[in-house]
Amino acid sequence: MAFERACALDEVRADQGLAVTLGRHEIVVARSGDEVFALDNECSHASVALSEGEVAGCQIECWLHGSMFDLRTGKPTNLPATEPVATFPIEVRGTDVYVDTETTLNGVTPA
Amino acid sequence: MTVTTDSVRSALEQGPEHGKVESHLHPAGSFDVADHEVPTGREEIWRFTPLKRLRGLHADAEFMPSATSCTWNTPEGVRVEGVSGDEARGLRGISGLVPNTRWAARVLAEVPSSLLIDVPADTEVAEPIVVELDGTDVAVTEAGHVAMRFGAHSKAVVVLNHTGSSSIAAVVEIAVGDGADVTVVSLQDWADDAVHLSHHQARVGRDATYKHAAISFGGDLVRMDANVTYDGPGGSAELLGLYFADAGQHIEHRIFADHTAPRTKSHAVYKGALQGEKAHTVWVGNVLIRKVAEGIETYEENRNLVLTDGCQADSIPNLEIETGEIEGAGHASATARFDDNQLFYLQSRGVSEAEAQRLVVHGFFNDLIRQVGVPSIEDRLLTTVEAELAKNVLKDVGSLAAFGSDD
Repeated sequence: MAFERACALDEVRADQGLAVTLGRHEIVVARSGDEVFALDNECSHASVALSEGEVAGCQIECWLHGSMFDLRTGKPTNLPATEPVATFPIEVRGTDVYVDTETTLNGVTPA
Repeated sequence: MTVTTDSVRSALEQGPEHGKVESHLHPAGSFDVADHEVPTGREEIWRFTPLKRLRGLHADAEFMPSATSCTWNTPEGVRVEGVSGDEARGLRGISGLVPNTRWAARVLAEVPSSLLIDVPADTEVAEPIVVELDGTDVAVTEAGHVAMRFGAHSKAVVVLNHTGSSSIAAVVEIAVGDGADVTVVSLQDWADDAVHLSHHQARVGRDATYKHAAISFGGDLVRMDANVTYDGPGGSAELLGLYFADAGQHIEHRIFADHTAPRTKSHAVYKGALQGEKAHTVWVGNVLIRKVAEGIETYEENRNLVLTDGCQADSIPNLEIETGEIEGAGHASATARFDDNQLFYLQSRGVSEAEAQRLVVHGFFNDLIRQVGVPSIEDRLLTTVEAELAKNVLKDVGSLAAFGSDD
């Protein structure tokens, strides 16, 4: 377990994900109310960055074809995506967000 | 006045030279690198390719000194050698290629040398010209240019054999003289980590016969564009492809038969098999029948056999027709898993399930392999198909060797 600082908490907007590169992984940090989540920043359908889409109701949308992914589980809630995206352990320490990219919460191998 | 000329031209449905065809499938080319933006992955011609895995070859990766060894044989009467300076520059565009990607424009502009294969007119080369490219360092991003010039009424076979580990962008230009009979085989038998981006552009002369075979087994990411244009009436192009993608591999083949002359022929058959998680193949066939290309005949076909769960095969046959005065135009695509009826039939004859699967895959590929027309390559392909099958589909079958010797 190696948590690295990803960003400051106030950098994460309520309606959009924030793309962060940690090591060889590109992740997206998104929030739903007070909760913060980290996902692999690539739609499992057509390799689009999820950080470019909207966040609403604990879901992040891929703008290209409209698939939504649950921030908690990484699972798509509608087509065309059928595979989940990786979700990473995340911690809020004070005003900063820390993410561990070496393990995934849902067992999906990051792209 | 220009406006008037243009409007008259469009009213008469005539264009300059071959006529400009508005199409997102083949963007206008340019030799100037600055005219090409770095692709984002959303472009039609890039939308299936995982750009992140290209090690920057599609963008601005440095073309470093080559770490790929290149050796060849030189049959009598043929010139095969590395050339540089003015001679190399003079070979850029001999196939009529005007790059429509940034990387191809960069290769033509930046690579100082070319490998020239020059077959003089009226020369028949008995043995295949085999170029062995063996990569040694995947960390070295490099680029290469190959120019093949076949004189009028010559006859030759060229094999490009890619092995080892490499990150390479290659432009291969092929000029087939009038009445020549040429076969070009490109084998991508890379190690698991190789990245290979290639563009094969051929110009087929009057009444010439051109056969191109693209065979991809190895590599992390292999993408090849095999394009053909015609220099005069009566040219014929056969585009064959065979690919076998394992877990995690991305193998992408695109063809473009641009019928720029009347009474020309193109026939494309690509067959692929996929096995393992995240094995991904892409086949995009493009055929453009221009207004001048009356009386042409074309057919393109892609078949994919999905052997296990977790694979993805994309197959898109495109046909753009600007004239209806043609002999024939067709396209076909099918992607499926094993046919239960075929397996059942074989099993009802006492063949085990795994052996039945093996026979079906062999039948699927053999039909194509025998069309390659180079005996040494055909034997090798049969062996490779067997080895690929042993990796996954048939890993539980112990008696492969006994069956192999029966063939």
